[in-house]
Parts: sequence; structure tokens; C-alpha cells
Amino acid sequence: MSADTQGVALGYEPPADGGERRVWIPLGGSHSAGAMSESQGKRLVSAVLEVRPEPETRLVLLGVDVDGLRHAGRAALRDRIAFLPADGGLLSNLNAWENIVLPMGFHHPGRLPGVAAQVKGLLEELGADPEDLLAKLPERMTAFEKKLTGYVRIALENPDLVLAEEAQPGLDSGERAAAARFPAVYLERCPGGTFVQLEVARER
Amino acid sequence: MIGVYREFEGCMRLAGYVLRRLPVLAKPPVAESLTRQIYFTGASATAGIVLRGAFIGTLIIAYVIDVLEADAALAVKILIWVVLREVGPLIAAVLVIQRSGTAITTELALMHISGEVASLRQMRVDPRDYLVVPRVVGVALSTAALTVYVQVIAVGGGMLLSSLTIDASLGELTGEFFALASPVDFVYSVIKSFLFGAAIALVCCYHGLHPPGTSINAVPKAAINGVTQSTLLVLLLNVVFAYLVFGQAFFGLVTAKL
Repeated sequence: MSADTQGVALGYEPPADGGERRVWIPLGGSHSAGAMSESQGKRLVSAVLEVRPEPETRLVLLGVDVDGLRHAGRAALRDRIAFLPADGGLLSNLNAWENIVLPMGFHHPGRLPGVAAQVKGLLEELGADPEDLLAKLPERMTAFEKKLTGYVRIALENPDLVLAEEAQPGLDSGERAAAARFPAVYLERCPGGTFVQLEVARER
Repeated sequence: MIGVYREFEGCMRLAGYVLRRLPVLAKPPVAESLTRQIYFTGASATAGIVLRGAFIGTLIIAYVIDVLEADAALAVKILIWVVLREVGPLIAAVLVIQRSGTAITTELALMHISGEVASLRQMRVDPRDYLVVPRVVGVALSTAALTVYVQVIAVGGGMLLSSLTIDASLGELTGEFFALASPVDFVYSVIKSFLFGAAIALVCCYHGLHPPGTSINAVPKAAINGVTQSTLLVLLLNVVFAYLVFGQAFFGLVTAKL
């Protein structure tokens, strides 16, 4: 860990002549990555999720410059990162409960028995009715319910870094207020974690 | 030609991946997906598939008996050679392609186009583990089970029909059947239909995960590719199996020099 990467949760330095902006976010707390174009947003998310930047681009994740990492190091780093897409990233043939526990069933099946109470607690804390939401398929959910389901899914994994796309337009004021509480609820569960919001300007 | 080779290579790689990753079936979401696949292919379709299979099997026996003016021994031999070894597994395979093959390709292609396959990767879940492994195992097991159902009903129906149309009782035909049929016939057809099912699911999963484009038009194209190629692969496997096990193919038109 070099001196300039210590204390950095997410560092993204594109080539100077590419017209893209630099993102440099400290460890801990909730931050905005600032407004960026859709294409840069896609490249940034892809680089973070693959733990592999494009050529001539520098990527720092959780204090580690990923350029010098081998496969095992990249995989270990990836396990500490979660991504929340604008639409929640749900599978359409699974209901909310099945969507929430899918990654946990793969990565931590031993933790499944106690997960129902955690899910219920998180949903109630964010103003949703667990009985109503958990049985719904994505086609019957509102945009906020999809985002909330995706959020609960990643919150259960207690990642060290959360990269969240801003919510899709169309939320009412109550839903916007609830979505604005996502970072605080995450930081209550993971006090040392970092929540990064991506503000992507959609290209038409 | 290069495209066909690439698709074949892709299916072979996928088959290797499925064999290496069979232990993933122990994970709860994959086990649940396997159960759903077995229910969809092997249980919910049973009545329709078995009835259609039995109808086709009985029809074949009726035609053959009529054309060949068969006696009891020949009728039973036809039942064993044609229905038990060949037509039973083939009917089950064709019906599985029609029902589950199209469903698998369409579902996976839609998931690919709508970004759900990418969502799985974002969750650090390999789409092949969650989508392909349970489908291949589920369809293989279900096809083997359906073949047994089709054989029992088609052979039973064939013997019943034979007893009505030729000068032999049902008891004589049953006795003749158990004298001529060997466990090899049964094991051969079950193993063959298991491989048919695995091949169908592999080809359909491959085309579902690699649709020829990212628009909605790619979905029917992927489904057509999946269905036609899995049908061809089943017919090819049938010929290879018949040649390897019994030294003959195409119902005896090609015979091995042993």
C-alpha cells in the first residue's frame, strides 16, 4: 500500500487527454462521485466490478492500487465491494425474497438461517412492509421497491465499499426520502464502510 | 463453417464447465433451480408427453404389424428394437426439445438482453453456475425419466394393440417380451436418453447465453438455433450410440464389421 493510496476508498484516474474526470474518494462515510457522463459511469463501474481498469487508467480500491495485483488479490478485493444499479439489478423470475438471498446462498450459505430477521428489520427501518414486498415479483414492484430490494441484498453482505447508481427518476417525495437514508443505514451496520453515489447523466 | 465450429467448441467448453462444477448443485439457490427444472421438464409435462409418446409408439406398432403381417415373435422384436431402444428415447427427446429446449433458450436470451445475466455477475455469481448447471442436470434426469414412462406406455399399448390385431394373446406377447428383452436394452436406452437431455440443455443454454444480437429480435433467432442444433445433435448421438453398442445404425442399414 503506497502513501498516496492509503486512506483512499475509490480512486479512478482516466488518461488526461480523454476528457473524463478524476474520481478520488476517501475511506469511510458517504460520498458522491460527482456528475459524470453515462459512458464514463459505465467504464468506472466496469473497472471496479472487474477490478481491472482500461489501459492507461489508474484504479485504487480500498487503499490498494489494483494494477500490481494478481488474480487472487483481485478476487479478494472484489469480495469486499458491492454495486447497486439504478433499477436494483433484480432477476425477473424471482420474488423479492429470493432476489435478496440469492448472493448470500452462493457466498455464505451458512448465514441463511438467521437472515429473515435481518431482512425484516432492514425493510421496516426503511418504511416498507416486509409481508407485502417479499412475495412480489419485480414486474409488480414500483421503481423504489426494486431499488430497495437491491439495496437490502447488498446491505446483508456487509461490503467495505458500496457503489450505488442514483435512483431512477419517478420516485415520490417519501420514496426519495427513504432512498436518501440508504447510506446512513448502511454505515450503521458497517461503521468503517464507504458508500459512494454515482450521479450519471443519461445520454439520449 | 467457422461459426458452426465456434458454436460446437463453445458447447464443448460449456459441457466441460458443467462437469467440473457439479458440486455447485449443493448450494441452496442452485438446488432450488434444479428442483424447478425437474418439476418443469419432468413432472408438469409428464401427462402430455407420455400420452403423445404412447400414441406415436402405438401408431408405429400398428403400421409395422399391418405392413409386415407380423406374428407374435416379430411383433415383440419390433417392440424391443424399435420402441424400447430407439423410438422411446427419441420421442422423449423431441418432446423435451419442443417444450423445455425452447423455454430454456428463450428465457436465457431474454435474461441476457435485459441485463439480468450481467446482474448475476455483479453479484459475483457465475451465470453458468446458476443458470446452466441446474438446467443441464435437471433436463438430463427428466429426459431419462420421461423415456421410461414413454417406453412403459408405448410398449404396453403396442402389446395390447398387437393382441387385438394378430393371432396371439396378451399373455403370450408378454412372455415373449420378457424372454427377448434384456437389461442391456433398458440400461442402454436410459443412459442414451440421459445424454440426449444433457445435450439438449447444453445446446439450448449456449444459444440462450449467446444470442445473435442485443435486440429483442435476437430471441427467436437464438430459439431457432437452439432447437435445430439440439435436434441434430440428438439424431447424431443416436446414430453413434447404436453403432457403438449394437454395431449397427439407421435400424440396421449400417452394420459394424466385428
